[in-house]
Amino acid sequence: MGTLGKAIYTVGFWIRETGQGLDRLGCRLQVSRHRTLMNIFDKAPVVDRDAFVAPSASIIGDVQLGRGSSIWYGCVLRGDVNSISIGSGTNIQDNSLVHVAKSNLNGKVLPTIIGNSVTVGHSAVLHGCTVEDEAFVGMGATLLDGVYVEKHAMVAAGALVRQNTRIPCGEVWGGSPAKFLRKLTEEEMAFISQSALNYSNLAQVHAAENAKSFDEIEFEKLLRKKFARRDEEYDSMLGVVRETPPELILPDNIMPDKVAKTA
Amino acid sequence: MAASIAARISRKAAASAFSSNRHVISSRGFATEAAKTISPSSDLVKWDYRGQRKIIPLGQWVPKVAVDAYVAPNVVLAGQVTVIDRASVWNGSVLRGDLNKITVGFLSNVQERCVIHAAWSSPTGLPAETSIDRYVTIGAYCLLRSCTIEPECIIGQHSILMEGSLVETHSILEAGSVVPPGRIIPTGELWGGNPARFIRAVTHEETLEISKLAVAINDLSGEHSSEFLPYSTVYLEVEKFKKSLGITI
Repeated sequence: MGTLGKAIYTVGFWIRETGQGLDRLGCRLQVSRHRTLMNIFDKAPVVDRDAFVAPSASIIGDVQLGRGSSIWYGCVLRGDVNSISIGSGTNIQDNSLVHVAKSNLNGKVLPTIIGNSVTVGHSAVLHGCTVEDEAFVGMGATLLDGVYVEKHAMVAAGALVRQNTRIPCGEVWGGSPAKFLRKLTEEEMAFISQSALNYSNLAQVHAAENAKSFDEIEFEKLLRKKFARRDEEYDSMLGVVRETPPELILPDNIMPDKVAKTA
Repeated sequence: MAASIAARISRKAAASAFSSNRHVISSRGFATEAAKTISPSSDLVKWDYRGQRKIIPLGQWVPKVAVDAYVAPNVVLAGQVTVIDRASVWNGSVLRGDLNKITVGFLSNVQERCVIHAAWSSPTGLPAETSIDRYVTIGAYCLLRSCTIEPECIIGQHSILMEGSLVETHSILEAGSVVPPGRIIPTGELWGGNPARFIRAVTHEETLEISKLAVAINDLSGEHSSEFLPYSTVYLEVEKFKKSLGITI
């Protein structure tokens, strides 16, 4: 019994090796079919040229993306049954989902509208809701149909905001179901706008990196090998001065303490 | 002069009419305003045959993956990320070390669709890097932000660990738990809920199981990693395609 199992396993292993061999010959089409921007029916996404859309994100259907906004890795923005419009300077962080409702129990048709300078945290789920300017949706939050998040409001991480909840200006709501937690202080509200700006700058760095061609990537690999950062004391002991090449220097403005403060 | 006053009055009337049906019209107005200011670029890439790169270096920082670690092809590692030996990062995860370091320790696994990010600074004042120590199992769909996870822990599925949280050794977090910023989960305890609260102590048998779970997932990752070749054969397809179009390679 044992040897039979072993024999079958070995044969299976050979078959798999052959399959991989065929793969190496390119017999199966392996080109990635993932489409970052996808039209569906007659609706096409309208994406500003200064916006960063990660290649692994999916922007489908009637989606409008404003200037300086960023859609990070793995997001899905599905404007198939209704429209999604996202303002400028907004960031939708990794693995989030923005969807729209065509019909719900009340019968109202709700497009999703996200304003300017909004921060939507990682893995948030926004379904048929409206988020006004400069709001903050914490990571892992779930906003259901008809939710209205007013300016400078914050939805805490992991919150579940039930249908048709209205979150007033300057308040923090959290928990599941979401309840009023506390009011935001002035500096926290300023922090929200600042963080949206930081994210915009960070998005530019990621956008530049993701748009590189094969030659550029290989060239930078070589540069990194050559100019690998070594201990400065060691260098000064040897009398060597190392300068990082300009291609490898990140812009200063992504580090929060060096960013010019918003007015 | 009269014309300007008339214009002002008519504008005010229009504004009041707008404000009365605020919901529908303002939302439409919002959208058209946004549409007017969007200037799409003509050469925006809709479909790139390359897909999403797995390892995204930012400036000097290159994500380092150990040779016997399994990182699924779906994963995005960006910035300062180190995946140590025999660790595994499963499909759809995003490890973004752009503001601070992320380390996935020995025999740890980050399961599907997790997002691990590191903030620039932590409310506790300690270094805000996300470090996941050895033998840690992080369940699917978790969100980790600037947290420290000590050796031999289990983080349940869909849990959220916020900035500065510390999960000490041999502790287990239930699925769906939300750990507030700066919270410490003490050694050997089971916590859960939103916000995370103490449930019970972890029994000795469960403590032994934690590292066994990590090893089991590592074995599973071995089978997954043998499905994928170290380099893709996309370039062969591209060359064939280019040849068919008459483009010189």
